[in-house]
Amino acid sequence: MSIFINKETRIVVQGVTGQEGSFWTKHMLDMGATVVAGVTPGKEGQDVHGVPVFHTVAGAVETHAADAAMLFVPPRFTKDAIYEALDAGIRKIVTIADGIPLHDQIQIRAAAQSVGARVVGGNTSGVISPGQSMLGIFPYWIERVYKPGRIGVMTRSGSLTNEVTAMVVREGFGVSTLIGVGGDPVPGSRFAEFLEEYQADDDTDAVVIVGELGGTMEEEVAQAIADGRFTKPLVAFLAGRTAPKGKRMGHAGAIVTGGTGTVEAKIAALEGAGAVVAERPSHVGRLLAERITGGKR
Amino acid sequence: MRRLEHQGKSVFAEAGIPVPPSRLVEVGGPAAAADVDAIAGHVQQAAAELVAAHGADAPVVVKAQVMMGGRGKAGLIKVAQGPNAAEIAGAAAAAARTVVASAAGVGVDLPALLVERGVEIHQELYLSVTADAAAGRFVILACAEGGVEIEELAAQRPEAIHRVSVDPFRGLQPYQARALGFAMGLPKAQAMAFAAIVQKLYQVFRQHDAELAEINPLFVTADGELVAGDAKLMIDDNSLDRQPGYQLQRDQFESDAAFEAAREGIPYVQFDGEISLMCAGAGLTTTVFDLVNLEGGSVANYLEFGGPNYRKAGRAMELCLKNRSSVILVVTFGTIARADVMAQGVVDAIRELKPDRPIVTCIRGTNEEEAERILRDAGLEPLFDTEEAVRRAIALSGGAHGGASTTGPAATSSGASAREARS
Repeated sequence: MSIFINKETRIVVQGVTGQEGSFWTKHMLDMGATVVAGVTPGKEGQDVHGVPVFHTVAGAVETHAADAAMLFVPPRFTKDAIYEALDAGIRKIVTIADGIPLHDQIQIRAAAQSVGARVVGGNTSGVISPGQSMLGIFPYWIERVYKPGRIGVMTRSGSLTNEVTAMVVREGFGVSTLIGVGGDPVPGSRFAEFLEEYQADDDTDAVVIVGELGGTMEEEVAQAIADGRFTKPLVAFLAGRTAPKGKRMGHAGAIVTGGTGTVEAKIAALEGAGAVVAERPSHVGRLLAERITGGKR
Repeated sequence: MRRLEHQGKSVFAEAGIPVPPSRLVEVGGPAAAADVDAIAGHVQQAAAELVAAHGADAPVVVKAQVMMGGRGKAGLIKVAQGPNAAEIAGAAAAAARTVVASAAGVGVDLPALLVERGVEIHQELYLSVTADAAAGRFVILACAEGGVEIEELAAQRPEAIHRVSVDPFRGLQPYQARALGFAMGLPKAQAMAFAAIVQKLYQVFRQHDAELAEINPLFVTADGELVAGDAKLMIDDNSLDRQPGYQLQRDQFESDAAFEAAREGIPYVQFDGEISLMCAGAGLTTTVFDLVNLEGGSVANYLEFGGPNYRKAGRAMELCLKNRSSVILVVTFGTIARADVMAQGVVDAIRELKPDRPIVTCIRGTNEEEAERILRDAGLEPLFDTEEAVRRAIALSGGAHGGASTTGPAATSSGASAREARS
């Protein structure tokens, strides 16, 4: 199977009539995702690639029982769009917006937590369960990356995910569900929050995390392993092991401040808990193979 | 966007946080090029004004307004003392010369000097407001031992740091501010004054969309007053749309290339090694940065032209060419950032800019077959393996030299290899 999304996930696309929204709605449909409705205020009654458009998320939910939202909404309107989805009862939301103000990120995460919802992103490619469903902007047509299989992948980065996942597939594996939590300092959801679902998923044999310098998400994964909350094999690749302190490496969240956020500390935490850390993307597949024996790929 | 001390203090003062009386003396440009005599004269005059307005019973402090931390140790803050107004002003002029010389020694730009009335310090406190990512809340940190490196203290004696977690919808409550004041172990009047400053600093943090608002040290004077000794205010770059008071300025950046990149929205970090990275995606670019260092090469600049910038290959290459690098290394694996568009962009940029150094390309992702054809037609050799591309770039840059990450010899002449790579 998969986690978070599958064939049954009923998707509403917010910002569906925009250039990106329309383009990726077509791709989500082509990949097999169940997109039931779109939202663009002022354009109710139109359709985009056969998907009916509504003024409001509430309207889309009422008519088509949407239960997940995919946002193609600019960063400064993202908070409003997420509140709208939450208020319409949606509990799975993905935003790819790059540039959500920090204070909005905090409020988005707090609002989602207060109703038990999951927001994934921003600054991400989204979530994909290859062959089943996609809330995001993945090049699923690149077969050497997006092959269905039994490895869960979580990542803070887009292009690097292609690089690392290609190495997983090269070794003969495929992906159950790939979750891009994104590169923001305060992502809506954090690595460790998905581990329980990967643990419970019979079709996920192991998890790969693609992390980087900054923040504490990798340490939280290490803690979950140490606590016994996650017991499947876990291989990590972490970008920024040679990055200097105090420099922001691309992502807003990728910065070492004071003593926290160094890759060195993350490696120590993960290895201390029993996870494996690959020095280079090209090592990930082999390390995975060493820890999975006899299973299907 | 980090603000200079005096800019942060202006914001704090507007919000009602006490700061020492001061005058600003503008300098501008590299400290080494500053007109020291003129600056010393202006500082002397500023010090005389301060003493005339507030009395000669306190020294004057001359502080370099630079982005770096550890200014005291670097000689960028000097105290001017004297028995009377004239001698204090004279000492301030001498202090200014010392500070400018120190700044020149460090090699930084020096936008201004802050000339400030000194205070008699009884105690130093620490206070900051920032985001708590894991909790999805704001957090206030306070400590009765200011003037320290707070992260070091957090690692060594976390119990010395008091934390108040703030609900982002309810906001900071007065009781939370009061509790912090009492936790500092201050007498009642000072505890209440501290609580008032906590509330004002939180307002500044929220109203200015700050990543960090910090007062370190927050002085308790011999008279029992609380005064901000320093100000560190960092504004969230993602909020500049709704913070019209803040604009990107050259003096916030360490090079022309870094400033121009920021204005274009191109992520860029300045280094001084051999290989200019022109890659796509933050994680992938950082990984290439690591691989270059692991393989014994050195990086001249970090630059991303992926995401929304994938049609900006020309601009990206221009920025790389501002560095004395000897190779440009292009590595991408893009989705929306189509491989064919990026490849065409690189080819067009080479035609227009005629770079004097070789370009190594490893462009993959959407439409990569078309990208390969475009690169081959232009006489480039497309590579498909990131590590191979990194090793090729290092070889073209003169080979590995012991894993130095940020240093390296000046760019070697690479005309021959440029022709080789492009023919």
